[in-house]
Amino acid sequence: MSNPQVELHIEELGVITLELDADKAPKSTENFLAYVNKGHYDRTLFHRVIPGFMVQGGGFEPGMTQKSVGAPINNEANNGLKNHKYTVAMARTNDPHSATAQFFINVADNGFLNHTAPSVQGWGYAVFGKVVSGNDVVDKIAAVKTGQRGGHGDVPKDDVILTKAVAI
Amino acid sequence: MDVVSDLHLQAGLGHVEVWVNYLNTTTADALFILGDLFEVWVGDDAYPRNVSPQNFEVQCLEQLSAISFRLPIFVMHGNRDFLLGSAAAALGGFSLLTDPCVLSFGGQRWLLTHGDALCTGDTAYQAFRHRVRNSAWQIEFLAQPASVRRQAAQEMRKQSQEQQAKNKVDSSKTDLDVNNGLAMEWLQAFKADMMIHGHTHRPADHQLSAGHVRMVLSDWDVNIQNTAASPRAQVLRLSAAASSAPSSPGTVRVNRINLLTSSATP
Repeated sequence: MSNPQVELHIEELGVITLELDADKAPKSTENFLAYVNKGHYDRTLFHRVIPGFMVQGGGFEPGMTQKSVGAPINNEANNGLKNHKYTVAMARTNDPHSATAQFFINVADNGFLNHTAPSVQGWGYAVFGKVVSGNDVVDKIAAVKTGQRGGHGDVPKDDVILTKAVAI
Repeated sequence: MDVVSDLHLQAGLGHVEVWVNYLNTTTADALFILGDLFEVWVGDDAYPRNVSPQNFEVQCLEQLSAISFRLPIFVMHGNRDFLLGSAAAALGGFSLLTDPCVLSFGGQRWLLTHGDALCTGDTAYQAFRHRVRNSAWQIEFLAQPASVRRQAAQEMRKQSQEQQAKNKVDSSKTDLDVNNGLAMEWLQAFKADMMIHGHTHRPADHQLSAGHVRMVLSDWDVNIQNTAASPRAQVLRLSAAASSAPSSPGTVRVNRINLLTSSATP
């Protein structure tokens, strides 16, 4: 079974193509594709950008309004995939199994985000794919100026808009 | 009690495992971290805890916090993380110490300091230090957005590295190590017996005069070859031997514990 690919069209910056690992991260892949096909990611922001760390999106519309999401999915961080640079992983709250729609792309080898133990502290973040084209677009997102906005930190001063996400 | 410094923790620098392992297994009843816990720290607000994925630094503070239930942790500013504030201390479960300060232990007075203030031969650094330890400068710096501060810190680091390269080839540069004369003055001013500091990454004991030793801590860069002469990830452990009468000084045993075997790390 070949791995599904998704294009993220970023306004004014270009296209990031993700290859999802349906084999090692089946639930996360299925969950992500469901949001893609529903159009959930269309016109969302990369709302949290930290150079040397990661760029995060999939949850907010321009204006920083949070979009409604579906049920949380199980954490698949114990699948052996590591948070290497340019991998994509599910974002979540402190509850290990709280991931819904938000995701982030690592812009460094973030080993400290890997699964170490099935505990609250050690669960880590589930990598479910990687960037196969558009590293330069990811880099451009990571380089934008950021600041505080409505109680959120590291928000791009000029909206970084994911205009549409398409399964190809 | 254990004394360490110069962890220089930063995502991707690879010595976290040794440190976390040490935190989980130490039998000390107190831990003193004399500066440069972090490679860089641009202000407490740049590392929020209520976001996910968390910054690496937040994870480090939470690791410390978990240990702090077991043993009290004391942290001093270094030349890299002098902006560590009360929010970081609260998250990390530690108390911030002023630099320098005196610890009474085992009947002796120990002067604890990061060490950078004593390297008077490094005039370029001392000028920089004078500028950034100024509260007006810090207030202005912290008012800028976190992203701007991160850029500035990177720029400062680059300039520091360039200056260090220049120092190496400048024959007029006097010794860049801690000035022993000044160290002795500090000991006398604080009526202290021993000094413990880090910063120079040159672990050794220096006899300043009778009864006065300057003990230098190692750094924790496990990517630099660990040798007997220049160990990394070394913990200074002070143990007070039991003393029968409260008024007699007792003795303090000082051990340097090497966490890395000499057959180096990958």
